[in-house]
Amino acid sequence: MGYKKPLPKPNADTRPFWEGCKAHQLRFQKCSQCGHLRWPPSVICPICHSSQTQWVVASGKGRVYSFALYRVAFLRTFEGDVPYVTTVVELAEGPRILTNIVGCSPSEVRCDMPVEVVWDDVTDEFSLPKFRPTSGT
Amino acid sequence: MDLKRLKDRYAIVGVGYTPQGKVAERTALSFYIEACANAIKDAGLKKEDIDGLICYRHFEPLGDDVEVTPYLVAQLLGIRPKVLAQEANCARNQMLHAIGLIEMGFCNYVLIAYGDNAYSGRRTFMKEATHGEPVADNAAFGEFGLIANYAMAARRAMHLFGTGPQTWKEIAVSQRKWANLNPKAMMHDRPLSYEEYMAASWVVEPFRIYDTCLISDGGRAYIVTSTERAKDLRNPPVVIMGIGQSNPSVDVHQSDFMAGPTGAKIAGEIAFEMAGITVDEIDACEIYDCFTYTVEITLQDYGFFGPGEGKDWFKDGRTAPGGEIPVNTSGGLLSEAYFMGLTPLTEGVMQLMGRCGQRQLGHTTETKEPQIILCSDNGGVFQSHCAIILRRL
Ligand SMILES: [Zn+2]
Repeated sequence: MGYKKPLPKPNADTRPFWEGCKAHQLRFQKCSQCGHLRWPPSVICPICHSSQTQWVVASGKGRVYSFALYRVAFLRTFEGDVPYVTTVVELAEGPRILTNIVGCSPSEVRCDMPVEVVWDDVTDEFSLPKFRPTSGT
Repeated sequence: MDLKRLKDRYAIVGVGYTPQGKVAERTALSFYIEACANAIKDAGLKKEDIDGLICYRHFEPLGDDVEVTPYLVAQLLGIRPKVLAQEANCARNQMLHAIGLIEMGFCNYVLIAYGDNAYSGRRTFMKEATHGEPVADNAAFGEFGLIANYAMAARRAMHLFGTGPQTWKEIAVSQRKWANLNPKAMMHDRPLSYEEYMAASWVVEPFRIYDTCLISDGGRAYIVTSTERAKDLRNPPVVIMGIGQSNPSVDVHQSDFMAGPTGAKIAGEIAFEMAGITVDEIDACEIYDCFTYTVEITLQDYGFFGPGEGKDWFKDGRTAPGGEIPVNTSGGLLSEAYFMGLTPLTEGVMQLMGRCGQRQLGHTTETKEPQIILCSDNGGVFQSHCAIILRRL
């Protein structure tokens, strides 16, 4: 049984991110001039327009910025997941990424709730960064 | 930026409707053509007068439709405009373009149009959000399209200033009352109670089905010209007293405007400054209402009430027929039909022209006689905003 859900489609800008995920690392571009961590990836920093960039690994800690609770499956492959939560997680380092909350009931998800990354190795090619409530808080 | 010199210098002189709602066996293109031809007729113009044509953004063709382009619309209307344009995403600059083209003397009559067969063609609006992020990557997490994007914004607003279904039910129910007075509205004969709203099924929480706009077949068009030319035409001119635009552009997921201020704040300030008035002088509003929350945050950002105060502000039918400040008097995108920003804008025009029958503002609906109506258009997920203040001349 192959994995049936949609997979990311890495491009020249996003490939380093997805390669990082495969290695269970959240990699972001950090501007060498002003220090801004950006998402989505780009050739220059949107704050200062410097093209001097290094890829850094984020801690995987963050908080729920906001979330949506799907009561309807828009794709058949998600029917078994309903109700499920898509969320924007604001990482401690700043970037806000679209992901899922796992490891708790959808009714327990709250804005500003602390979360940490957990890796979902969906295929040999792709690991998806998902987030669960930070344990012990 | 001094826009005051442009105040009242441009006018809307004709509106084109089509059959709407569920209208089977029609191409999207056919609705554009019918709406445009009707707008030209309504204005009392000849088709040869139209020297500018601006189409709203058109989504992927459905079924066996061809792609809608301004070339095709012009060809099938039998016109040869000096300027053709089509919105690429949802930037909502059409009215500004029209005014600019007329102001520079290049065009005299600019026609702005939209149409779709979204209901019969079963458009799902899953691909249409304007993301900075690759859409396929988001789909890997089960994130699909506009409802969840706006739901996420609404959730943040619930967290920050305590809005929620108690506010949104007022918006949905009040707009439905307007639709019940509008024979063209898809929800004309479908009353909606608070109880039905609260009992409705969720789509993407915190939105129930009554928080989301309709999907419609049909089209809409209007014509802009100078106020001087408008005075010689058959309809009472409705002039543009103020216009403002602001495009925050950022994908909602990375944005800082989920709970406002959205583009409505700056766009509203520009429009009010140009018009030289405040919100207190607005008689009615026609607000882009893809979702109930969009109405709340737009009016909040315009300054009608403070963050979270919408819960009381919308109460007791303030925006419903008979209310102090009517909002979305056709039923809007929630309860009339979805024609992008043309649903609210053309309703504002028709109200000021006094052509709204049973739902006409004034003594018919026990509301204030309308002199000034504030309209909004919104694109992407709060990525674009246009505020337009219309006035009866
Ligand atoms: Zn920088």
